[in-house]
Amino acid sequence: MTKDEKKPFEQTLGEWKRFIYNPGSGEILGRTAESWGLILLFYLAFYGFLAALFSFTMWVMLQTLNDETPKYRDQISSPGLTIVPKPHGALEFSLNVSKPSSYENHITSITNFLRAYESQRQEFHIHCRNGTIFEQDDVSPKKACRFPLETLETCSGLKDESYGYYEGNPCIFVKMNRIIGLRPQGEPRIACAVKEGKDVKLVTFPQNGNLDLMYYPYYGKKLHVGYLQPLVAVQVMFLTHKQEVTIECKVEGSPNLRNEDDRDKFLGRVAFKISLTQ
Amino acid sequence: MKKNSEVQALRQLGGLTSTRVAELLAQNGPNVLTPPKETPEIIKFLKEMVGGFSSLLWAGAVLCFIAYLIEFSKDKSASMDNVYLGVVLIVVVILTGIFAYYQEAKSTNIIASFTKMIPRKAFVIRDGEKREIPAEQLVVGDIVEIKGGDQIPADIRILASHGCKVDNSSLTGESEPQSRTCHITHENPLETKNISFYSTTCLEGTATGMVINTGDRTIIGRIALLASSVGHEKTPIAIEIEHFVHIVAGVAVSIGIMFFIIAICMKYRVLDAIIFLIGIILANVPEGLVAAVTVSLSLTAKRMAKKNCLVKNLEAVETLGSTSIICSDKTGTLTQNRMTVAHLWFDNQVYQADTSEDQKDQIFDQSSATWASLSKIVTLCNRAEFAPSQESVPIMKKVVMGDASEAALLKFSEVIMGDVIERRKRNRKVAEIPFNSFNKFQLSIHETEDPDDKRFLLVMKGAPERIMEKCSTIMMHGQEQPLDESTAAAFQTAYMELGSLGERVLGFCHLYLPEDEFPDTYSFDVESMNFPTSDLCFVGLISLIDPPRSTVPDAVMKCRSAGIKVIMVTGDHPITAKAIARSVGIISANSETVEEIAKRLKIPVEQVNKREAKAAVVSGMELKEMSPEELDELLTYHTEIVFARTSPQQKLIIVEGCQRQDAVVAVTGDGVNDSPALKKADIGIAMGCVGSDAAKNAADMVLLDDNFSSIVTGIEEGRLIFDNLKKIIAFTLTKNIAELIPFLIFIIAGVPLPIGTMAILFIDLGTDVIPSIALAYEKAESDIMSRKPRHKKKDRLANHQLALYSYLQIGILQSVGGFFAYFTVYAVQGFKPDRLLYLRPLWENDSLNDLEDSYGQEWTKYQRKYLECTGYTAYFVAVMVQQIADVIIRKTRINSIFRQGLFRNKYIWVGIASQIIIAVILSCGFGSIPILNFTTLRVQYWFAAVPYAIVIWLYDELRKLLIRLYPGSWWDKTMYY
Repeated sequence: MTKDEKKPFEQTLGEWKRFIYNPGSGEILGRTAESWGLILLFYLAFYGFLAALFSFTMWVMLQTLNDETPKYRDQISSPGLTIVPKPHGALEFSLNVSKPSSYENHITSITNFLRAYESQRQEFHIHCRNGTIFEQDDVSPKKACRFPLETLETCSGLKDESYGYYEGNPCIFVKMNRIIGLRPQGEPRIACAVKEGKDVKLVTFPQNGNLDLMYYPYYGKKLHVGYLQPLVAVQVMFLTHKQEVTIECKVEGSPNLRNEDDRDKFLGRVAFKISLTQ
Repeated sequence: MKKNSEVQALRQLGGLTSTRVAELLAQNGPNVLTPPKETPEIIKFLKEMVGGFSSLLWAGAVLCFIAYLIEFSKDKSASMDNVYLGVVLIVVVILTGIFAYYQEAKSTNIIASFTKMIPRKAFVIRDGEKREIPAEQLVVGDIVEIKGGDQIPADIRILASHGCKVDNSSLTGESEPQSRTCHITHENPLETKNISFYSTTCLEGTATGMVINTGDRTIIGRIALLASSVGHEKTPIAIEIEHFVHIVAGVAVSIGIMFFIIAICMKYRVLDAIIFLIGIILANVPEGLVAAVTVSLSLTAKRMAKKNCLVKNLEAVETLGSTSIICSDKTGTLTQNRMTVAHLWFDNQVYQADTSEDQKDQIFDQSSATWASLSKIVTLCNRAEFAPSQESVPIMKKVVMGDASEAALLKFSEVIMGDVIERRKRNRKVAEIPFNSFNKFQLSIHETEDPDDKRFLLVMKGAPERIMEKCSTIMMHGQEQPLDESTAAAFQTAYMELGSLGERVLGFCHLYLPEDEFPDTYSFDVESMNFPTSDLCFVGLISLIDPPRSTVPDAVMKCRSAGIKVIMVTGDHPITAKAIARSVGIISANSETVEEIAKRLKIPVEQVNKREAKAAVVSGMELKEMSPEELDELLTYHTEIVFARTSPQQKLIIVEGCQRQDAVVAVTGDGVNDSPALKKADIGIAMGCVGSDAAKNAADMVLLDDNFSSIVTGIEEGRLIFDNLKKIIAFTLTKNIAELIPFLIFIIAGVPLPIGTMAILFIDLGTDVIPSIALAYEKAESDIMSRKPRHKKKDRLANHQLALYSYLQIGILQSVGGFFAYFTVYAVQGFKPDRLLYLRPLWENDSLNDLEDSYGQEWTKYQRKYLECTGYTAYFVAVMVQQIADVIIRKTRINSIFRQGLFRNKYIWVGIASQIIIAVILSCGFGSIPILNFTTLRVQYWFAAVPYAIVIWLYDELRKLLIRLYPGSWWDKTMYY
């Protein structure tokens, strides 16, 4: 065995050329056209078979699923809380009262969000009995309860289309994530509190931030057409301008709605920061 | 007689003084050979750390830290995940490095014990007295005394000798004992009779000599230095593994960079792109493979040691498997290394003796009276004796004092007639002339055991023609008959016939001395020979041979069917060599040499078409005349070659010739002079019993029983390890694709990541390790010794068939199975496959805590993350389940699993159990450790990939079936790896 000697460049190039196309044997990239054809045919057949196998198993798997409710809901046993509007990035609002551009997008997103709650869209919604779980397991189609925007009073946008942003008293809407079949126990409500900052007053609509039990349980997108989840609005009344506050809202009053998870900072709670300048 | 007076003078002076010795010792150093330079341990260790895949893992670790730094520079509270991963990678590299180093060191130790020399003593005259000192302390000028059985402690010049004979075979290859005298007989120090060399042995007699060279300056020392300067070739397996690492590293780096660029083009952040790069590298590097390969190599080394092959470096095992030519010694390797009675001729008839190792079945006719006489001569005319105190040792294993032929005859008569010594006592010896090369006979005169018979019996044995000259009668069926022309002709025919078998023929005759001329008081004088030595009665011939080991013919047959050429290289006479070659099948029964064809066709040798002759017997003299081209031609056109009368130096030429044919050459050797050839060979095999230390040093393997069949066993093991390595690599490579595809789909289709980097590490270094090692225990497939040796450049360990089958077929199948499990666990939780496509930007958005699933439910980021980990676990379990199918299909490459037996290799089941147990522990036990990213999976989703596992197994059975049904077809060429 001799040590590999450095081949001259021309030779290497020649070898490569011969590898790409060998006129002697008619080989392209080391295979004849026929051989390439067979290989391609084989892989076509093989992957065709695989695709069929995959489709078949997926089809079987999807057959076992229910279109209306997912098979398991164990990974979302307790709902998260989110807010509207949602600032870009982290939950930090930076509002300048004299600069509408700093909050116009928030107003738009609130308007878009509340569009589903407009009264003409609730024509076919029913009035439900307050304070009780609205069981309709055996009913079809499922009825959706009315959520009158009036409940949100000053934050409803019915009187003040700027939701308080012009005055520097912005409304933040808190909602609890939809989870199919969730039946809150007790009297769930959203309680918001100032964590950092002072000279701020929080006003909650509806009063106490109640989440009425009649909106539960949710039966899923397909069965529960037009379902409206209850909202709680928090109006942040700044007593002095130019300041920063951190507000935390939590679900309270219900033993089966968790709000103190170490890892999930949004499970039954949500914290946001507002810095207001004149 | 100047020297003798010098001896006297030195004796009187009393040798060197202690002070002079100390001076010389300080000046020249101790009398030891410098061992070949060893690579420092730390370098070996570092090599394991950076070699192979380790560098890729280092790169991965560095990328992890870079990713963390980028993140950290943007956000001080960046997650430490990348740092952990980097640290884990470094730990992996270091652990596998330590493991490989430990394995290597362990196996080096096996052999290190062999190279260690036994401490030797020497008798030296110093300060006027004789003392025993360790041989290392000898200095130039010391007077040493040696006696039969000693190893010569240094190069010495003989000052006085009493019948001293040395065995120089390890140095010069001459197997005949050489006498040593104090006379200069040649100018060349290697030829002259008054110098004996370090490491040779004194066979008989005694001698006194002066040390002229010590340590590395001795002839042996110089040869040993020469041997260590011949470069050692990289072993084929080392080349193969390097080749494989290059392929995989190339794939890893190119796919990684390709997707890095794609990711950048798709506007992913650089940080994300780096994380993809790490993932792709990790997916491609078979981290556990190095460990699996080292373990399986050392397992085989251990297994081979059990079969009497001791392997010096692990890779040599596999080299042995790719052997295409074996250049084997004759004496001791092919033969039993002891003279044995092969044929007898008496009563005008040739009888065959049993030459097997125990000689139990002596079936020749023992009723003839001639045999009675012959046996008496054999017993009496013999000076050999059994060494004392070995009553319990079987006859064949007893140590005999005396030369090889006499020992053979002694054992022969002991086996047939029982207690020889007792018989000799009953026939008291009264006179004796030992054998010498001038007389070429040996004679002794005995009283007879018959008390009534007062005659003396004269018995004689020797070279048949000399014995015949002294005879006038011949014994036929116990009757003396005059020796006429027809009986003389019969004798000649028998003599030629036995001689042509390469056997050493001895003639036997006797004479009862007439009582009247030689009364029992007669005093015999061997000097004046006052007794008749002619007109004796010829009794018979006995021929001796060093017979082939009984296992050798089978082993040679096996080699032939395995496409391995066996070349005999011996210092013996061509006729003997050829006879042995024929009897063991190195020259097969129906093939002829050029000379034989010439003889058959009755034409001159020159007119024979050389291509017609399959066999060739070439002597050292002829070899000397040959040009390299002629040697090439010889090696190409003759399949059965015997090199006779060759010197060990010529072995090197033969090895080089074979290597020019692109063959992987295994060479056996025992002498010091063999060491250059042993080093040059692809695999040098030293003899454990008779081999010199230098040979063992230069060799890659030591045969503990010196038996040729052990080489063949070794070859089988070597082929097996190559097959098993292939299986291990195929097994390990398969899931690389299943680990890689998720990243590609993740980047291209924007689905949540199907498998995390930690889970990949847990497959590579967790579930897959034991099954891949278990494959090393796999038994051979049926074709192992019936296929050609692999071509070291064309038949690679990781060939493209293996890569394509593993990557593009089984690997893709596994990925599909993995994705099925992945989509299933997402779907049952509410995210149907269509919802997942291009969901990635929203899915990974940290501030999006109400992501809607297919059913209208909303998920927080953490809930999604948890679901993602469930996805990792499902994909991980799916790969694990399909790797179970993979390990089962990898048990064979061509045979059906059922033929191989599902339960013959129980380690496979240990491996499968380990896969399941590790996965269960990870999923259930460590589900709560967030950094590992595993969650507990519902029982039924453990079985999601089972249909795919079954398809893998069925598909592979189909592949093997078609290969078996249509050998040589397109399918065979494409699908057989």
